[in-house]
Amino acid sequence: MKILTEHETKKVLSKYGIMVTQESLAKSSDEAFSIASTIGFPVAMKISSPDISHKSDVGGVVLNIKKEDVKTAFSDMISRIKKAVPGANIEGVLVQQMAPSGHEVIVGLKKDAQFGHALMFGLGGIFVEIYKDVSFRVTPIDKKEALEMISEIKGYPILKGIRGKKPADIDAVAQVLVSVSEMAQKENIVELDINPLIVGEIGAIAVDARAMVEK
Amino acid sequence: MLNSIFYPASIAVIGASNNEIKWGGRILKNILSAYKGKVYPVNPGETNIQGLDSYHSVLDIPGEVEMALIIVPAKFVLSVAEECGKKGVKGLIVISAGFSEAGNAELEKELVSIVRKYGMRMIGPNTLGIVNEPAGLNASIIGRLPTPGSISFITQSGSLGLALAEWTIDTGIGLCKVISTGNKADVDDVDLIEYLNNDPSTGVIAMYVEGIKRGREFIDAVRRVRKPIVAIKTGRSKRGAKAVFSHTGSIAGSDEVYSAAFRQAGILRVDDIDDLFDAALAFSCQPLPEGNNVAILSNGGGASIVAADECERQGLNIVDLTLETREKIQKVIPQFASNSNPIDTAGTVSFEIYDKSIKALHDDPNVDAIIVIYVHTMMFSAMPPAEAVVEMKQKCIKAKSSKPIIACWMGGEGTEEGVEILKSGCIPNYPVPERAVKALSCLIKHREFLDKVKIEVGPEDKMGRCK
Repeated sequence: MKILTEHETKKVLSKYGIMVTQESLAKSSDEAFSIASTIGFPVAMKISSPDISHKSDVGGVVLNIKKEDVKTAFSDMISRIKKAVPGANIEGVLVQQMAPSGHEVIVGLKKDAQFGHALMFGLGGIFVEIYKDVSFRVTPIDKKEALEMISEIKGYPILKGIRGKKPADIDAVAQVLVSVSEMAQKENIVELDINPLIVGEIGAIAVDARAMVEK
Repeated sequence: MLNSIFYPASIAVIGASNNEIKWGGRILKNILSAYKGKVYPVNPGETNIQGLDSYHSVLDIPGEVEMALIIVPAKFVLSVAEECGKKGVKGLIVISAGFSEAGNAELEKELVSIVRKYGMRMIGPNTLGIVNEPAGLNASIIGRLPTPGSISFITQSGSLGLALAEWTIDTGIGLCKVISTGNKADVDDVDLIEYLNNDPSTGVIAMYVEGIKRGREFIDAVRRVRKPIVAIKTGRSKRGAKAVFSHTGSIAGSDEVYSAAFRQAGILRVDDIDDLFDAALAFSCQPLPEGNNVAILSNGGGASIVAADECERQGLNIVDLTLETREKIQKVIPQFASNSNPIDTAGTVSFEIYDKSIKALHDDPNVDAIIVIYVHTMMFSAMPPAEAVVEMKQKCIKAKSSKPIIACWMGGEGTEEGVEILKSGCIPNYPVPERAVKALSCLIKHREFLDKVKIEVGPEDKMGRCK
């Protein structure tokens, strides 16, 4: 069993045509600055370590970093993580574009002993954590089934646009579900979360992701 | 191949006994109670069992043996199975326990390899046997043959399955086959469902499931099945019991995955045992409706509201009736009664009221299915409205109508006279409105599934499966 970092997981997602945040791994504050300059300010920074899968719990996520704060943010994060998780293997800091606005949804996979892989979809945040408003399919699924699974959740009207809000790009979410269904076996996924996948009026982008694979 | 197990021309009972308290005695007695083919008891210690010549080994039997039941201690099963193979037996039912369920997976593997070597098929080990009513075959420890019907019931090991079969027989629900799958070492759910789908005497498949083998193949195979399958799956798992890596991992317990898999396969998963046989009963005697537009007729407002509420919960539509229908109904119900759906006759009951109202609802193009409720009071007889329902059903069969009629006769003493009429008229009847609605919703969901996967409905789906 191997845990992939956010950056590694996103590389897998990209391979299957899923849009991911623009990002790069920085090993020094200078490198962080130059990556951030290429991406454009402000940026987000996330600790990259195979030993840390819940980054924000240990202070491993900082958002909205301005140009003048990038270098300090880098060194602060490294020292904070070293203190919070002594001995963690730190690969560096992931410098990332700030997430665009849109609806947060979750797409996940879990290997199942009986049926292969289960694919999960739901709205992100409290909808998944508290209400467990999610739908499931056994993979593989096609686009039609993906659309059906999106429409099954109670929060579906939110994506369709309520109170004058524009509808989210449901078709793009369905495409992500189909791509994730496709990678389940090929990439030997044990568990995968894309959380959140942010869905705008056009397109859906994976902002955070984690995966566990079988070697 | 499974025909050799369900419709054998000859049966050897290996481990047969004169003692009817023993399994080998009990099962032999059950077989002899109605089965017309050749039966050969096998027991090395006996020469005559229950009036029949007994043989030392299956190899000593003079004629051909198509199917053998094995009821010997686990340690003898391999050699007995080997002999069956040599004898040319085609199907085995291995009642003996003490295999993978007891931690002896290796022994089970060896048994399967013998079965495969000789090209046999096997149900079990650790099964309670099978019943096939059309063949008069009770090769099980179930006490008696069920009344004829089109429901075939597959049950995974466990005495609950046995109790359910007995209970079904008690309630008079007709059964076609009862199959206790045991450990499913060879014949499993996929094999059985494919077999039953091609079995002309099976109309609906009911399942009691603890776990499925070959999950993905199961979904693919079952998806192609036209016959309705209703299942109860036990063992709802605790989710999030341990810290997990992902959100998905914490939410996707095996129960959630089963629900998804069953849905993709077109299996109607129900919550409890009542639901299982309620739905199976409805499938066994009513056609599949073309849509989810329901009309309700009742002599009591309360009961019809309960039904309407449950319809809403199940996603069924209480449809608006045409003006023509409402006028037809208004002619037979009191002035102050409601002629809009749900129809409430305001307490009045007669053959004419029910007959004319049901006919009007049936002829309404907006209506896909009808629920007829009768709440018993001492002022009326439960029989005339029941007769009206049965008569309408006969008309429906003649007219090849695909609108199901579901009944709910509520009340105490006196109700049963109406219930009997409904039962003999092959009308699914339930004691409370919710159960009637849930059963109907299964018919509708199955129809929707067939439309979704583009399986054409068969003639029996259009006309019901009443004999």
